[in-house]
Amino acid sequence: MSNHRIPDAPGQLINRDVPLTFTWNGRRLRGYEGDTIVSALLANGITITGRSMKYHRPRGPLTADYWDPNTTVQVGDEPNVRASHRLLRDGMNVSAQNVWPSLRFDLKSANRLVGRFLTAGFYYKTFMKPAALWPLYARVLGTFAPGGVVDLDAPPPRNDKRYAHPDVVVAGGGPAGMAAALAAAQAGASVMLVEHEHQLGGHLCWGDDTDRAEAARLAHAVRAAGVEVLTDATVTGRYEDNWLAISQRGLPGIDERLIKARAGVLIVAAGTIERPYVFAGNDLPGVMTSGAVRRLITMYGVKPGNRAVVFTANPSGDAAVVALEAAGVTIAAVVDGRLGGNVVAAHGRNRVRRVTLADGRRIDSDLLITAVGWTTPTSLLNMSGDRPVYDPEAARFFPWCPPDNVLATGGLAGDGTTEQLVAHGEATGLLAAARAGVVRHRLQHLTRRAEPVTTPEPAWPADERPPLPHGSHPALFRSTTHGIVDYSEDVSSKDLVQAADEGFDSVELVKRFTTTTMGPSQGKLETVNTVAVLAEARGETIEQVGTTVWRPPYAPISLGALAGRIHEPVRMSSIQPWHEAHGAQPILAGQWIRPNHYGDPESEVRNTRNRVGIIDITPLGKLDLQGPDVPKLLNLLYTNSWNALPQGAVRYGLMCAEDGVVLDDGVTGRLGPEHYLMTTTSSGAATVWNWAENWLQTEHPDWQVHITPVTTGLTSINVAGPDSRQLLERLTNDIDLGPDAFQYMQVRTGTVAGVANCIVWRIGFTGELSYEVHVPSGFGLFVWEQLLVHGQDLGVAPFGLEAQRIMRLEKGHFIVGQDTDGLSKAPVTGLETLLKVEKDDWVGKPEVVWALSRGDGPRIVAVQPTDPTVVPEEAAQIVAAGTNQILGRITSSRFSPTLNRSVCLAQVHPDVATPGTTLTIVLANGTRTTAQVMEHHAHFDPEGSRLRG
Amino acid sequence: MRQTSPVIKQRRAAKYSLGGLIRRGFSKESWPRVWREPEFGSHYDVVIIGGGVHGLATAYYLAANHGITNVAVLEKGYLGSGGSGRNTAIVRSNYLTPEGVAFYDRSLTLYNSMARDLNLNVMFSERGHLTLAHTDSALRTMHWRAEVNKLQGINSSVIDPAEVKRLTPSLDVSENVRYPILGALYHPPGGTIRHDAVVWGYARAADAYGVDLHQKTEVLDVLCTGGDGPEGKGPGGRVVGVRTSRGDISAPLVVNCTAGWASTIASMAGVRLPITTHPLQAAVTEPVKVFLPTVVVSGSLHVYVSQTDRGELVFGASVDPMATYQMGGTLEFTEELASHVLELMPGIGRMRLLRQWAGLCDMTPDYSPVMGPTPVEGFHVDVGWGTYGFKAGPVSGEQMAACVANGRVPELIAPFGLERFSRGDLVGEKGAAAVGH
Repeated sequence: MSNHRIPDAPGQLINRDVPLTFTWNGRRLRGYEGDTIVSALLANGITITGRSMKYHRPRGPLTADYWDPNTTVQVGDEPNVRASHRLLRDGMNVSAQNVWPSLRFDLKSANRLVGRFLTAGFYYKTFMKPAALWPLYARVLGTFAPGGVVDLDAPPPRNDKRYAHPDVVVAGGGPAGMAAALAAAQAGASVMLVEHEHQLGGHLCWGDDTDRAEAARLAHAVRAAGVEVLTDATVTGRYEDNWLAISQRGLPGIDERLIKARAGVLIVAAGTIERPYVFAGNDLPGVMTSGAVRRLITMYGVKPGNRAVVFTANPSGDAAVVALEAAGVTIAAVVDGRLGGNVVAAHGRNRVRRVTLADGRRIDSDLLITAVGWTTPTSLLNMSGDRPVYDPEAARFFPWCPPDNVLATGGLAGDGTTEQLVAHGEATGLLAAARAGVVRHRLQHLTRRAEPVTTPEPAWPADERPPLPHGSHPALFRSTTHGIVDYSEDVSSKDLVQAADEGFDSVELVKRFTTTTMGPSQGKLETVNTVAVLAEARGETIEQVGTTVWRPPYAPISLGALAGRIHEPVRMSSIQPWHEAHGAQPILAGQWIRPNHYGDPESEVRNTRNRVGIIDITPLGKLDLQGPDVPKLLNLLYTNSWNALPQGAVRYGLMCAEDGVVLDDGVTGRLGPEHYLMTTTSSGAATVWNWAENWLQTEHPDWQVHITPVTTGLTSINVAGPDSRQLLERLTNDIDLGPDAFQYMQVRTGTVAGVANCIVWRIGFTGELSYEVHVPSGFGLFVWEQLLVHGQDLGVAPFGLEAQRIMRLEKGHFIVGQDTDGLSKAPVTGLETLLKVEKDDWVGKPEVVWALSRGDGPRIVAVQPTDPTVVPEEAAQIVAAGTNQILGRITSSRFSPTLNRSVCLAQVHPDVATPGTTLTIVLANGTRTTAQVMEHHAHFDPEGSRLRG
Repeated sequence: MRQTSPVIKQRRAAKYSLGGLIRRGFSKESWPRVWREPEFGSHYDVVIIGGGVHGLATAYYLAANHGITNVAVLEKGYLGSGGSGRNTAIVRSNYLTPEGVAFYDRSLTLYNSMARDLNLNVMFSERGHLTLAHTDSALRTMHWRAEVNKLQGINSSVIDPAEVKRLTPSLDVSENVRYPILGALYHPPGGTIRHDAVVWGYARAADAYGVDLHQKTEVLDVLCTGGDGPEGKGPGGRVVGVRTSRGDISAPLVVNCTAGWASTIASMAGVRLPITTHPLQAAVTEPVKVFLPTVVVSGSLHVYVSQTDRGELVFGASVDPMATYQMGGTLEFTEELASHVLELMPGIGRMRLLRQWAGLCDMTPDYSPVMGPTPVEGFHVDVGWGTYGFKAGPVSGEQMAACVANGRVPELIAPFGLERFSRGDLVGEKGAAAVGH
């Protein structure tokens, strides 16, 4: 390994004592601990790291940092790894992306030959005829999708999340960022310093000995001052009120962690990003920025080539000359952009061989280094609402007016010596600590309302920092030739000019038409060059053209990190383990898992109809309502009247949304003078709670009602069947279950199986005599088992959801959301007596009044197929005979073991809702059958004698 | 259904074709401007506010179907800068109500022939659309939609998990996940389209007919006379023009196609719309090689996803619960999105989110649009599209053009009149729309 490494020197981050092996496209190579993938590849003499998206041109390292658009690789099962940033690991399996069939020999590079026809947006202009071939064209275009390969069977990444509440977060660990963090910490603030690279220091890391000494001093001081330092971490997003998303990588056992931080003050010290130069051949391997070679030489001991032309317009370019010479690279020419020198073209096939200068010289070289200026990574400021402004003198953008809990410092804010940057950072850190103190004060007084405010709020510290100067820099964006502007999207300056000529002449339109700045670096390298080329094409200034808006995230963040460990709760009643131990078939119902049946739902029906059954109905939504104004709330939410509900009674109610559509239904019982229990459908529990709270909090904050959701606080068991009274009598001695003492639609509170505070009400969803018992959930399983033990001689058996569905259908009870839908207004139910239009007001009333007066809405009816063995599928359509005109649909259907025939509920047009009407039903297999509309909703016991008994 | 048949032909635009690309590749001759930068006129027969797909399609069909070309489209930003450029570009016609099916099927027909009609490849990718069911009740709704669709002649059916897996191998159809996939509604004609291209296609074709497209032209006021309110605005009056950031325009007909800003613009004419504006967020990942061949929607998990031909996954979700004009996007959206997507496709946890954004949706109480005339004579609206305006763009433009040109409300959009809110005649699209995209 080789003449591509230079001797050990201070500042190098590689550890030559720890060699590592890895593979590159199957080839075994060696590197050192501390290498990035790219530095190790270059050290092995490999200069082509990938191919471009459209023309499959060979590409090599350009900036050699995280934003390098040309060094995205596949590492094992992980696509799109930034090889200039990712540290080498022993045994790593690295391969190039966008190559076909191989990196060296790529057939799609033939696209270069037809490149003159593949102008920006060419696909919008062709492939329209013949239309039949477009899917084929589209498939071919799809194969040009850039990027790596997702291994769908790979083990999922390990991710987690963390919350943090630092006073100050500093984004960027260069000299200004470190100084800011240090000053803020010394002023007493809790500080988190977030650095994108693997070490603190920023550009000082590839500077001279003095720079590195200063970096080391600050890094040591920062840690000593108790600043929490995160490296290989990025502030990826800034949201309302300094809610920050921080991605942290490189943790043991964790692939990527999302830290969600609420910061008092955010300091943006993101530095600057070196901008590539646009000229012919600017994407050839061997063309690099000054920062790239300085990093490679100083930090990784890599000699990037043998003979260099350096085009410099700033001190970074000058420093690159020094670094290259020190690394033993021959300097073939230094072209000074400040003195009017310019580069016109780079030539070569797979890397730079020769460079043409503006003065006509043609110089042989294998490296062309450019130092033409900076892009300000203002993303976090954009996300804060700032719109950075362009300074033509400095040829870059600067922050304008960020909100006062966001402060900018360092290269982002201006130029200066290291001392000046550190001084500005210190002033920023002090200001941030002072402002964070005020924020903290506010928060403390917000959260302790009960305490009288004794200390007046401190004054908001004014920003009195002396600004950093804006240095002057030649405006160098494009040479006299055209070249690549967006490397990852293969968009050239010529494409941009053409797009502008065609009328896509605002920065957003040109972006959308050419896809410039839309690739993985999201414009960090490309936006300013795009704007400059567009300004030139339009004869405008860069200020006039303006930039695109930078949106979150600042750097891509993995879906795994955003998701974290997936915590999707499964809800279950306290009896669920018993069900599972007793052969219950589970069913997922919304968030709940519950027993569907215990083997034979039809025999469960028969047992309940003939003897007694028990069902666990814990998912039933339950809200505890207390306060003098509960009747007002019930009157508002339900369509019927709740003024005269006596204590000890329950009542059925129907709820509508504001559009009159059925929202939910259930019974509510009055337990005490100002104490009620409301039940909702299982799936509607959260909706109704939200709904009630919303009306209370936004429309009627004066009403005295307190709502407590108690769905899981109470285990609910329905004891149903002719023998249910007899069973329950054995288990309670303080509730009189006599038919007259405890009538249908009444509620009692008492002891069941020795468990106090049980709520028992007598209703009949199944159509049988039945008691719903709500037990404090800790005793739910106990009461369930007691019921089974004490009812053994009565033949008690559990039944599941399916049996309940059959019985309620036999009884003709509709289910909100199954027999009604998002279009069903309340009159659909046929419960006109419950729609109290004379009542003052209730949610949905105007719509329901209209619907009633029109009377043309669909109706729920009971339907029995002519052939009793045919069970039409739920959703089977009801049509006018002999046509496809839809008149309704079957909403529920089952074979009834009680009646030994099929029974259905249907929603039908009012014209065919009359009892006795014959309906035509289209079955799922396309055949048609007939059915009869019934007199009553109830197929079974329409008089209700069983449940009232 | 009447097919588009141009009444007049005034095409000045150069024809886009492979031949043209090759010829210009050799000759270096450049393509002419896609649309003109027109002079700012002081009078138009029709002014359309909003340069998105609805506004531009209306302008195009006014010219193409009705010969009305003295038309201005006013756009505050650049063409397609609102919802038209922010949506996730999914089109389908497997709606729930017969009215919805008929409407969107017409839209899909127009999308299908759009590339040829407008001579611009809108990259319609008829890749199949899957709406996943994770619960019994969702599966029941899928069956319902399928049965309605079959009777309407729409290609749509319920498929089982094995078939879901065959069509989309990246989906986890196993039973031991939190929200197992029990089946899906499969709609082969559904797919994606390049939304920007639709905007440009209509803009270019409208411009070729002589329609003036004014970008960076903000409407500051709608000028009225004779109305009950101040300055002659409000019911009983009529519209006489608009005041813009570039000057006044007189026009007897003004069409409001401004989506998220619909209620703001309407209030300038003294017209109150029952509309609130909510952001709808979306996000896109870094590109990877194509692995997701279909459009996948999960109502239960509030997410829809497709992969572009550039290799990016595009995600959307449901609207934010709070009414706001803020388009910043939230972190919580990306977290929830990621966890739901990984529930469906656990193999993509290493893919990275590249960009998030939001668009503004004009939500009505019944999730149905408001189309047609208003109590201010000459002031028309095509608003209230909420989360599915893009799918309806072509047919809305066609119908609104007919409405404006003929002074009669076409049958297809009659249910969507503003007066329904005072007649109790809401359209129940909510149930259909609630299942997402």
